Order: sequence, then structure tokens, then C-alpha cells
Amino acid sequence: MARGPSAAPVDRFPASPSRSVFPYVFGAVLLASVVFSLREAQVDPRRFVEGEALANVARFVRGAFPPKLSRDFLGLMARPALETIQISVMGTAIAVLIGLPLGLLATSSLTWRGILHERTSRSGRWTLGFVPYALSRATLSVLRSIPEYVWAFMFVRAVGLGPFPGVLAIGVAYGGMLGKVYSEILETMSPRPLETLHAAGAGKPGVILYGLVPQALPNVVAYTLYRWECAIRASAILGFVGAGGLGQQIELSMRMFQFDEVLTLLAILFALVAGVDWISGRIRARLA
Amino acid sequence: MYELRGIRKVFAGGEAALDGVSLAVGRGEHVAFVGPSGAGKTTLFRILNLTLRPTAGTLVLDGRDVAGLSDAELRRARTRIGTIYQRQNLVGRLRVVHNVLAGNLGRWSTATALASLVRPRGAEEAARALEQVGMPEKLWARTDELSGGQQQRVAIARVLVQNPDVILADEPVSSVDPSLAVTIVSLLRDLSHERRKTLLMNLHSVELALAYFPRIVGIRDGRIHFDLAPARVTRELLAELYAGHRDDELQLERLQDGTRPFGGACRPLPGFAE
Repeated sequence: MARGPSAAPVDRFPASPSRSVFPYVFGAVLLASVVFSLREAQVDPRRFVEGEALANVARFVRGAFPPKLSRDFLGLMARPALETIQISVMGTAIAVLIGLPLGLLATSSLTWRGILHERTSRSGRWTLGFVPYALSRATLSVLRSIPEYVWAFMFVRAVGLGPFPGVLAIGVAYGGMLGKVYSEILETMSPRPLETLHAAGAGKPGVILYGLVPQALPNVVAYTLYRWECAIRASAILGFVGAGGLGQQIELSMRMFQFDEVLTLLAILFALVAGVDWISGRIRARLA
Repeated sequence: MYELRGIRKVFAGGEAALDGVSLAVGRGEHVAFVGPSGAGKTTLFRILNLTLRPTAGTLVLDGRDVAGLSDAELRRARTRIGTIYQRQNLVGRLRVVHNVLAGNLGRWSTATALASLVRPRGAEEAARALEQVGMPEKLWARTDELSGGQQQRVAIARVLVQNPDVILADEPVSSVDPSLAVTIVSLLRDLSHERRKTLLMNLHSVELALAYFPRIVGIRDGRIHFDLAPARVTRELLAELYAGHRDDELQLERLQDGTRPFGGACRPLPGFAE
């Protein structure tokens, strides 16, 4: 478009905001931390070709092929595979039971901040809002900062070997993760439907059921299903400390240098994870 | 119904959004609030629907000072005030029936509220409300599949189910096209008239306000600029009200030209001044 003679003189445009140095500082710090970590983490590809390294790898690969597919072995592994699924399902169920209530309490828009609390007294916001909020946040961080492996180790001491300590370990550690992510999902939901319900006299349960849950449901379900998938993998690791399932079998076979068994077990694990992924994909598609 | 004395609201770290608003609204009255954007109309409505606490001043609702209400009393008072917002404050993923029945949440127990999500309680009531806003066939539709105007009607149906004494409509037509705006404003006015409800409406369009409301309150910079019958709202008053707000001044020019975006569709209720 042609500019008419009345076009604004250039000097009347607002000056561009002064350039921030933040991107440069941030970039430099990032680069420095990678270089520093490269050295300290002793990343050195040459060690692959030194000494026995390649030979060991070759031994492992040769041992793994062909994978052990005998009827006996597969029949024997059906139970641990089922056990792995059961551990992951129960663990995730317990994680939801822990994560959902704590996650709701850890949602600031529900407990003490924002439009729902504009008329709440300062002391009410503090005692009934901020204190439970902070406590549940702290609890969630403790639960998830202790690795599930360590939880399993402790629960094995407490309740003995078998799948149960694995279930508890996944339940507790994943409860912490679910609660944290639930609260983050809930906090990013639009507050406007909540405000409307609140203004019409709805109590907190009503606001949650009709305003928050329907908005957040697809994300909450998707993340829970993702955690279920992780739980399958985690149950394999937990088997290493005697918490049952496929993991325990992998650990046994590794210790016996039965790499053909290990490969079969890994394939079973892969099939389980893929199956869970497929199921959760179907559920997510229905909810979208 | 409402009595406001020296209401002032200052948001954290900002200027006063409302600065000494005093106003009385009688039961069953219809009042339109006009004024440039940023004048404090929405803040006023959020104080009136008891979700925002004024920084200073007194708000009396039916003879009781709101500041003295307990949390339970506050909730009960809120059930008597129905709010319709500028943008659709509905939950898109819920079916229309649930969004409409949410008007009952102030009365329902948590168990009832939960049960109704599985099997709607009083779906006939929701259907009747939808019939009154002219779209009974949408009862089971998913709310986010409706157009903006249809969603605004769902919001009105919800307020009908809530059955409050006052309806506060905060720019209910600013996101719908002009012909629909007339329909929605007249729908709200007629329904409030039939059911003897107090109706307070924020309107961006001066033309709609003048045509449909017997009392016009002009708000500028957090203060009441005038509070008059439409016949006494002069061009000069409107020019002062919107001075310095370019878009709104254009609106006034059109009004004076006789170009009426809402056409001849505006018709006042019998008995109200034209």
C-alpha cells in the first residue's frame, strides 16, 4: 500500500525495548555446564575400543542370539509377566489414591489463591488454605524425590519379598509424581467456569466436579496412563531388589549369563509396554 | 435490593478501579451500565455478585451489610444472584444439560451433584429452560459444539434454573453479532420482567442500553458520571462519558448520524420511556 503524505514521521514510532542480556547469559551458562559435565561425567567413547570392551559386547550379543523361545521357558515366564502387569496396575491405582487428594490440596487456585478466595478472610486463607497446600506440596516432593528403587528396598525390609513391596514402591513414588502433575494441570485450567459456579453459590466440591474435573479430565487421564506405562518398566527394575515380576527373572538370567533368556524377557517387556501404550492411546482418543 | 455507599476497589499495585460508587437499586428494577472500557463496570459487577470484596465502602443486600455475612450466609446470598458473563464461562467438554443444571449447585449436596453427572437430575427442568431461550433441541449436545450465541443462551438457561432474585449480565452480547445481540438483550429483559427479577446489565452499546432500559448509569474512571432515565441522557453527557476513547466516540457519531447497527429491532417494553 502506498504511503500517503500524512503518514506518521518515523520518529513518532515507539522505541524498541532495550535488548535483554538474559538470552546471552543463559546460553553461555548452558554451554559451560555441558562442557563441564562432559569432563566430570567422564564421557569418553575411546573406552569402547580399549581392551576387552568390544569382546565383552560381542559375547553378550552372541549369547543373546538366538533368544530362548523354548515352550518350557515361555510357559515359566507367563506368571512373572502377568505379575508385572498386576504390580503396575495396583501400583498405579495406589498412586492415584495418594496423588489425587494431595494434588487437589496442592492446587493453589483451589486452596488459597485466585478468584475463589477473594472474599475469604486472611486467617481463613492461611489456616484452611495455605497451610494444607504447603504441607501437601512438601509431602509430594518427598514422595517423588526418593527413587522407587529405594522405596522398594525399604518395603522389602518391611513386608518381605514378593510383588507387594513393588506395588507399594510404585504407589508411593508415583503418587508423588501424579499429585504434582495433577496440581499443575488443575492450576492451568481456565478459572472462568470456576468463577461462574462459585458466583452462583456452588461450594468447593461443586466447583471441582462441574468446573475443574471436566476441563482437566483428558490431561489427567492421559498422564495417569503414561505413568502406568512407566510403572511396567519400573516393575522390571524393582524386580532387581526382589520385588517380583519380570524384573526378578531378568536379574536372575543376567546373573547366570543366560543372555538368550534376557533377550526373550526384554522382548516380553517390550510387548507389554507396547500393549499398554496401545490401550492408553485408545482411551485418550475417546476422551479428546 | 442493593444499596452501595462509597464503594472503592483498589487492586494490588494498581490504581483505584472503583472510586466512591454510591447507588441504590430497587427490587425488580432494570438498570443498564454504560461507559468506556476500563471504567470499572466489570469490577462493580464482581462486587455486586459477591465474588470480590470492596477495599472500602458498604454493600447492603436486602437490608444486610454483606461484610458481616458468614461464609455459609455468603454462599446462600450468592445463590440468589445469577451472573451472565461476557465470554462463555461454560465447560465446553460437558453436555449442555450439565452446564444448565449447574445452576442448581448452590442447593445440591455433593452426592447429588456427583450423581447428576452420571444421570442428570431434573433434565426436564433443563429442557424447559432451554425452551425458554429457544433451543430445546440442544439439551444433549456437547457444549463446545455450539456457536458463541448458542452458548450465551445456555448461560441464560443456567441462570433460569438457578432462579435468582437478581440477574447480573456483564456485557452479555459483546462477542455476538448485532442481530443476535438484540435477541439476547430483549430475551434477558423479557424473562426478567415476567419473573419479576432485578436486571443489571453492562452494555458496550449505548444504543441497546437506551432502547431497552428505563435507567442508565454512566460510569467513567471508577465513578458514576450520571444516573438518569434514557430520555434525559443527552449527547453532551455521552460525549463526556466517552471522551478520549476513540472507538466509543465513533459509536456515538454513528448514533448521531442515524446509522443504527441494531436496526429498528430495538423496541422498549410498554410503559418504559422512549
